[in-house]
Amino acid sequence: MFFRLLMESFLRQRRRKLLAGIAILLGTTAVTAMLALATTIGDRVHKELAVYGANIIVYPKADLLDVKVGGVDVKPASGGAYLKESDLAKLKTIFWANNITGISPELPITMTMIADGGVERQVNATGFWFDHQLGNETTRTGASQLHPTWKLVGRWPEDSSEVVIGSLLAHALGKKPGDVVYLTLANAPPNTHARVAEGPILRVVGVADTASPLDNQLLLPLATAQQINNTPDAISRVEISARTKPEDAFARKNPDSLSPKDHEIWYCRPYANSIAYQIREAMPGAQAEQVRRVEQSEGNVLKRISGLMWLISAAALLAAGFAVSAAMATAILERRGEIGLMRSLGASKGAIAFLFYTETGLLAVLSGSLGYLAGSGLAAWLGARIFHGDGGAPESVLIPVLLPVVVALALVVAVAGSTPSIRAALRMEPSAILREDA
Amino acid sequence: MATLSFTGMLRRSLVHRRARSLSALIAMTVSAGVATALLTLYADLDAKLHKEFRSFGANIVITAPANASLLPDALAHAQQAAGTDALAAEFAYAVATTDTGTPVVVAGTDFAAVKRLDSWWQVDAWPDPAVANAALLGQRAAQFVGNEHSVALTYAGRTVTLQGAGRIKTGGDEDSRIYIPLAAFTAWTGVGPSVIELQVPGGTARVEAAMAKLQKDLPGVQVQPVRQLVEGESKIVDRTHALMYGAVLLIALTVAVSVLATLSASVLERRRDFALMKALGGSQAHLMGMFLLEALVLALAGVAVGFVVGSAAAWAISEGNFHTATLPHLSVLPLVLLLNVAIAALAALLPVRVLRGLQPAALLKGE
Repeated sequence: MFFRLLMESFLRQRRRKLLAGIAILLGTTAVTAMLALATTIGDRVHKELAVYGANIIVYPKADLLDVKVGGVDVKPASGGAYLKESDLAKLKTIFWANNITGISPELPITMTMIADGGVERQVNATGFWFDHQLGNETTRTGASQLHPTWKLVGRWPEDSSEVVIGSLLAHALGKKPGDVVYLTLANAPPNTHARVAEGPILRVVGVADTASPLDNQLLLPLATAQQINNTPDAISRVEISARTKPEDAFARKNPDSLSPKDHEIWYCRPYANSIAYQIREAMPGAQAEQVRRVEQSEGNVLKRISGLMWLISAAALLAAGFAVSAAMATAILERRGEIGLMRSLGASKGAIAFLFYTETGLLAVLSGSLGYLAGSGLAAWLGARIFHGDGGAPESVLIPVLLPVVVALALVVAVAGSTPSIRAALRMEPSAILREDA
Repeated sequence: MATLSFTGMLRRSLVHRRARSLSALIAMTVSAGVATALLTLYADLDAKLHKEFRSFGANIVITAPANASLLPDALAHAQQAAGTDALAAEFAYAVATTDTGTPVVVAGTDFAAVKRLDSWWQVDAWPDPAVANAALLGQRAAQFVGNEHSVALTYAGRTVTLQGAGRIKTGGDEDSRIYIPLAAFTAWTGVGPSVIELQVPGGTARVEAAMAKLQKDLPGVQVQPVRQLVEGESKIVDRTHALMYGAVLLIALTVAVSVLATLSASVLERRRDFALMKALGGSQAHLMGMFLLEALVLALAGVAVGFVVGSAAAWAISEGNFHTATLPHLSVLPLVLLLNVAIAALAALLPVRVLRGLQPAALLKGE
């Protein structure tokens, strides 16, 4: 009997059920979409903020001071200290290895090239990784990934004899993609035939506009730079882009002064400081620091944007909750006549309340689940539309954890919304209700 | 006479069915409140986000030609061209030698301006402005001086002794430098400022306008944008803006449809009133006008309350998240009003088809 009543109610009162159902559906759709966006916004904005470049920098602890003004080395240090390129693989073994999204080692060198007319000319060059595969990772990393604002005409070097030339140097030398650059054989005595004729030949494959002092340099593959500089395995600086948690008061603590338990907690949070600490542990002789200009400001922006999303989600929740409970209240209020009839036919208050709550619950679960699916789809669509062109594959926004949360919310709101109406209807005399309606 | 009975009926209808009127009023208030809060936040969003991006520091760098200094009035010109809300700081550089014989970059600047411009500098103690020869030591540079409190530096044969006030930590080039007040720097080295770092708030358009003006006002110098900052800022502001737009539409739609459902149900419920009035000789238009007016009165009341509540919510969200207040925007009022009136009108008019098909006699007889 109970199930027949339930079924008939859904079959016969399709308009009313549809109205309440649509209200719940829309409410859950909005809430799911907002929550799904709010939980993924951190990663998305981090990807956008990657244009600001590395947020952690690694250099040899024993290095001399940089004597740089406006990014240009005023007094190039000779015989500085180096880090080992082979040590970079260890970065993938640290606790927060998966949060490291990009690694770009550098080796600045000076070399002698032969300009037109056989004149020797000193040029600065920097060795980089280009689209480098680290270990057996599938992701590729390197200078161009860490500097998305660099503008390139041509392509990045793919083998050791290829080179990209900075835009200002290209202009000064009149070089363009397809040209070649002749270098002197470094260890041959000056003014000998061997020095000029047997030096390495590099092929220009691209012209880079970096809006930095690199525009006056050659950008070489790292291995080539090491070979020309005669310093195998050497790198002098590493830029690292890592996904971090914005710094709070705890992050600023000195890890070595913390109690072992707090040290453990500090170590296991993805603060820029703790990742830098782990890098120092992993790479011998390395000093790792957060780049405060990038890290601090990024944290700030990230915190504000995700804070805004969460607050808007809360507002969506509140508004949707209100709207759904109002719709449910109306839906029940409309059916006072039914309640009066059932009571006069001898149904107990409990049985009627149970029937109505079951109907409400069923409606909430059905519409809530549909709303979850619609909301997830909407979030994926919105996310893809707004954050298009990130280079990453479109992410699935189907977050399973949200399903029980959203359905439970729909259930609570629907039940809460219908309770006053059900109670009011049950409190009234059946005869009064029926007479009023007749 | 007709008007009198019209308003009388309206008043009666609102007062007599108090519970129903109240729930309709609450529904209208919620829709107006949500619309006000979201639109107010949305209107202020760009300004708020651009403000957050100021923490990234300078987005324009003005550089004097090689081996030359900027003119003494360059800073004033730059400030004037960029607008009063722009932050500017000038820097002079020289390579000196520390007492341990290490070459180090020494920069002369105005600490007060730098403190505002470069908020990411971690400085354990900013120098006292009264001390003319105070110095800030970069954390790497500090390892190359003999005594951090009395730093002896030599430039072109002239030695000065500076009073180290504290260390700076930035993770950038600053770590390898020593910063001293500009006046002391110029008196010691004879070198004037060669770089002005400028932070122009606002998006790409404003930065470009400021650059064009600077290029005109300061001939012979190099004016360059900090490309990744300018590009990154407008990209992120645009995307957050779009995200917010999507959210506003979504929430407004949800609330509007739910409110519509509630209101039109309550109109439908009054079929009997409708039938009775029709039986007593009211025309279809007359009765629709009646329903419409009732809904509009509720909508207006909802806007009045909702605007206040929504503005308060926007203020609270903004204060909580951005730590700056968002004042009520009167400009969103017409849009909120339009939205609410449209919902109310739709709610009153949607059931018309159902009502028109009804036979008063049949309904009154209870068939």
